[in-house]
Formats: sequence, structure tokens, C-alpha cells
Amino acid sequence: MLTRRTALSLPISLVAPPAWGAGIPLAFVLNSAEGSVSIINVLTRQVIRAAPTYREPSHWALTQDRSRLLICDAGGNALFFFDPVTGAPLGHRRMADPYQLGFTPDNRYLVVNALRLNFVDIYDARSLVLVKRLSTGRWPSHLDFSPDSRWSFHSMQNSNTLVSLDLTTLTKRWSILVGDTPAGVLWLNGKVLVCLMGERGFVEVDPLSGAITRQVVTGDGAHNIFIDTRRNVLYVSNRGPGQTGLTALDPKTFEILRTYPIPGGPDDISIDPDGQIWICLRFAESVAVLNPDTGAYSTIPVGRSPHGIFLNTLLRQKGLITAERI
Amino acid sequence: MSLDRIFSNIAGYMEQYLVLPVLFHFHWMAWGDLAFDWCLICVYGLFAVLLTYAVCVPLEYWYPVERWPDRKAVLVDVFYTLLNRVGVVPVITFVLFYHVQTWTTGFLVERGFIPPTLESLIPFLLGRPLLTFLIYALILDFAEYWRHRLSHSFRWWYALHALHHAQRQMSFWSDDRNHLIDDIISFLWFFVIGLIINIPPVQFPLLVLGLKFIESLSHANIRLSFGPLEWLIVSPRFHRFHHGLRAAGRNSCNYASVFPVWDVLFRTADFQDKYLPTGDARAPEALVTGSYVTQQVTGLKLFWQALGKSWASLGIGRAA
Repeated sequence: MLTRRTALSLPISLVAPPAWGAGIPLAFVLNSAEGSVSIINVLTRQVIRAAPTYREPSHWALTQDRSRLLICDAGGNALFFFDPVTGAPLGHRRMADPYQLGFTPDNRYLVVNALRLNFVDIYDARSLVLVKRLSTGRWPSHLDFSPDSRWSFHSMQNSNTLVSLDLTTLTKRWSILVGDTPAGVLWLNGKVLVCLMGERGFVEVDPLSGAITRQVVTGDGAHNIFIDTRRNVLYVSNRGPGQTGLTALDPKTFEILRTYPIPGGPDDISIDPDGQIWICLRFAESVAVLNPDTGAYSTIPVGRSPHGIFLNTLLRQKGLITAERI
Repeated sequence: MSLDRIFSNIAGYMEQYLVLPVLFHFHWMAWGDLAFDWCLICVYGLFAVLLTYAVCVPLEYWYPVERWPDRKAVLVDVFYTLLNRVGVVPVITFVLFYHVQTWTTGFLVERGFIPPTLESLIPFLLGRPLLTFLIYALILDFAEYWRHRLSHSFRWWYALHALHHAQRQMSFWSDDRNHLIDDIISFLWFFVIGLIINIPPVQFPLLVLGLKFIESLSHANIRLSFGPLEWLIVSPRFHRFHHGLRAAGRNSCNYASVFPVWDVLFRTADFQDKYLPTGDARAPEALVTGSYVTQQVTGLKLFWQALGKSWASLGIGRAA
């Protein structure tokens, strides 16, 4: 939606030098403590440009027509839009405390977690008009959906609960205690996986009953969870305080395939077409690029507290693109 | 590697190896992300002190306004500085501000108003961090000018602020020498300003470090003025005039912390090229050379007495 303010800011966007042309593979790194997005040429691994946001860019979502990359700025109470192909800024709009967000698979709603304000906002996916606001618990953090778009699942980082919403009635289905400081959420094979930052792994939750069906140990401070859809590997980023890094697991058996010790507070990850894993290191102002076969990695300096990461090479994939399916 | 990156990396190690183990042990990992901001605040605070020390110690040695037989009276100021810039005070301030800002935002959002940022009100500022910071700094310095000036205008408030002025051995350590209640008033003052302008907490740490350096330098025992640039940035000479014996109390001048423009605009600037002895002739000795606790207790007594006099002058508590 083009508001008066975004219209006013457009001329600035237009006079800004174009960072690159279409066709260059780009990584967008969201620097939470700097109010900027580092845009990196994936081939040369050089930061091409730092695009400004207001305060605190954290997570992203892609519109299902793949024309706009949405970047949350919770501290700035704004949602920023970028061209996912060229990296050009496409304006922004006011939004209350957007921290984490996702489009329902049926593209009906945009669901936004307002972490500081303790509610979940449900917007119409096309008009971005607020449809419903639900108080869910303290610090709604991460989210995911059932593939049929009937349910959403939200971790409440400061209530130790997982909350499920019914998106057909826009009401709360259930809220269950899952463990200490839940964070990353992923729907996988008919179950919901929830990372526990205050513990040493993740739990598997039955989406129907809300019962915990399994507990899996990966490492201290398990923060976020991703599925590599091409290689069919499940990854968990472990924040510490013990050994930090990535744990690779079999997505069916949850057998640990390998651990990658990486210091610096690993957070969100993405995977480039060569299979290299790009990992945001929150406390090291850098992104690690890991070769999963050798375990070797190099780092790219970015802004302060890199949080979310989007590689536009994902655009080549068919099907739904979300931050957790890479 | 840039200075900014070095500081962030140190804060990162602090977070990883000092803070996270504590948070994990006490089941406080929800604060893990914000704790990195706390570490940044501590690291930048520490480096602000080190930078000031590295610059001011040689300057105070080579170009002092006064030479003192000993520096015992300065020691307590060192404690004030470490407490305020590196210790728990900045972290507590940050946490409190975070909570109040969150509560205020929530209150407004529930009523259909999403608080803007300065950059959202002035779109030109987006992507111009230096200019944005300068505007934030000017707004805050303007607020500080009036807070400071008012602290000299009310009897009860100056009774607290006298602790700051009592120091006869004024050095670069003296900037944070304040009464706790005066600090709390200052904190609340900037709390409100920060909420109104939606100040970014840790977006410009290096620039904040620069401003803190200027404030400390302005208290240094250095024979230094900025010549024709005196009106632009507060110099040690400019601020020393404010701390001059004759300027203590209600009829003072040069209130600005960083930008003297406020003194020029409101006709309180004095650019005389003089280096006056500092202190407050009316301040009790306990306020000058006492320990931290003695100074705080004495300041509290003075505040209480002044409050009584203020009430009496208003007729409050007087028999009919």
C-alpha cells in the first residue's frame, strides 16, 4: 500500500544509485542493532550496499507472487518492502511492532507476531488491512502454518508456551507449555517442531491435540530450525552458552548427522545453490558461509547483530518460499 | 577492522561467555537478544572512559589550569564515572526505558495510534544516519540545557546539583559526579523526551561515545579553548566558566553540555577567555571531600532542608 509518507520517500529511493542489475544472486542480511539491510553479491561475497530501515530489521517474508520482499522493523514500527530480484527499496508502511511474519500458504492472510506488544496481528494478505488482533501470551516470537492454512503456531518466548490459532475462525485453539524459552517453529511431516532456547534442543508437538510427542537434544540454547528442502536435512542453530553452532539431523528419525561448531551466536540460515549454508552470527557482525561437506567456513562482515537472511536464489525454487524452508 | 566492529566483537564475547551462561542457568534466555545490547552499552561505556582517560590525562599533565598537591578529592569522581558509564546504572536505565517504551507503544497501539520515529516523520532522514543522529543529539542537548538551567533555578534542585558544583579539583572525571536523586530526575526527564521522539537505544553507539567524550573533556582541568569554534562545541574553558566559584548557584551561565548554541540563543553564554577557580563556596566540606556515601547523605540533607524552605515560602505547613 502506498501511503503519503512512502510516496514522499520514493524520490529518494529513485535517486539512490542502483545497487545491481537483475540476475545477480543476492543475499539480504537484516542487521537488527543497526537499522540496515546488508545486500551481498552471493558470487563475490562482497557487500554491495547497506539499505536503511528505521531501527531493527529482524525477519522477512516473500509475497506469493514473489514481487516483494517484506522486512519487519519492530523497533521502527514499520514494514519495509524490497524488490527481491534487484534489491531496490520499494517503500515502507507503518505497522505495529512487526517482529516475525508469514503468509498463510493459501495466501489469504499475512500473520505478524508483535513480540514486544504480546499480540498476533492478522492482516489481509493483499490489502494489508488489519483483520484481527489476538492477545496470545508474552513475547510471540516465531511462527509457522499447517499446509492447509487452517492453523498457525506461535512460540511465546516469555510464557514458555506454544499457541495455535484457528485461521478459519480467527480464534485461539490451544496454548500449551512446551519448555523454557521457545523460539523457532517449523511444521514438518504433520508435526510442529519447537526450539527451546532455555534448554538443549527441540520438542515435537502434535498439532491436533497440542501434546508433546518427542524431545530431541541438539545443543545448548536451540534457537531456530530449518529444513533444507533440496538435500532433505533438518538444521537447528544452537545459540549456547555451551558449544554453539549448527546441528544437522535426519528430518524423519531426528538422528544427528553432524554438528558444526560455529561461535558468534548463530541465528537464521539460508542455503545457496552450491549447497553452502549462510548463517547469521548475531554477536560477531558477520555471516558465516559453511561448506556442509567439509565443515569449513568463511565469514563476511555485515552490520551489527545480523538476524534474518534471505537469498534470492530461493526464487528459482518451485512451491512455497518461507524463511524456514530453504 | 573498524572500531565499531572491534567493540561489537568484544560485546559478542562478553555475551557468549559471561552473560549467556548466567541467563541459561537462571532460565532467563528470553532476554538473550537484548542482553547483547546491554553488553554493547557496557563495552562502549568502558571505551568512552578509556578514551577520555587516554586523551585527558596527558593534557591535564601538560596544560593544567591548576596544579594540585594531591588528587585525593578526584578519587570519588572516578567511582561516580565507573558506576554511571560502565556499571549497572546504564544497563538498569536501558532495561527500564525498554519496558516503559514498550508499555507506552502498546498503550498507543491499542488506541489505534502507531508511534512514529523521527525518520518516519521526516522521510529525508532515512538512510542518512549522521544527519539523523545530529538531530537527535540537538533535541537531547536542548532538553539537557533546560534541565540543567532549571536545576540552578529552584532552591531544592540546586541543593542536589550543588554536589556536582562542590568539586574544587574539577577534572575529566567530574562529569558523572551527581546526587542519586538528581540522576533520577535527569533520568525521568530524558525518559519522557526519549519516549516522545522514539529514540533509538543502541543505533549510534560510536556517536554517543563521541558526545560522552565531549562532556567529560569539558570538565577537564585543561587550559584549552576552541578559539573561533567556541560557539560550536562546548570546550573545557566554556564549561569551566559555568563551574566557576562566582557562577555556582542560581545566577550561572554556560549551561550547555555539548552545543553552546543554546546559551547563545537564550542569552546565557559567556565567552570570556578566563579560567576561573571552580567549586561552590557555600557547599559544606562533606560535599567536597567526603566519601561517596557522605556526599550522598549530605546532599540528601541539604535537599530536605531546601525543600522545607521552599514549602515554607509557599505557605505549606505554616500554622494558620
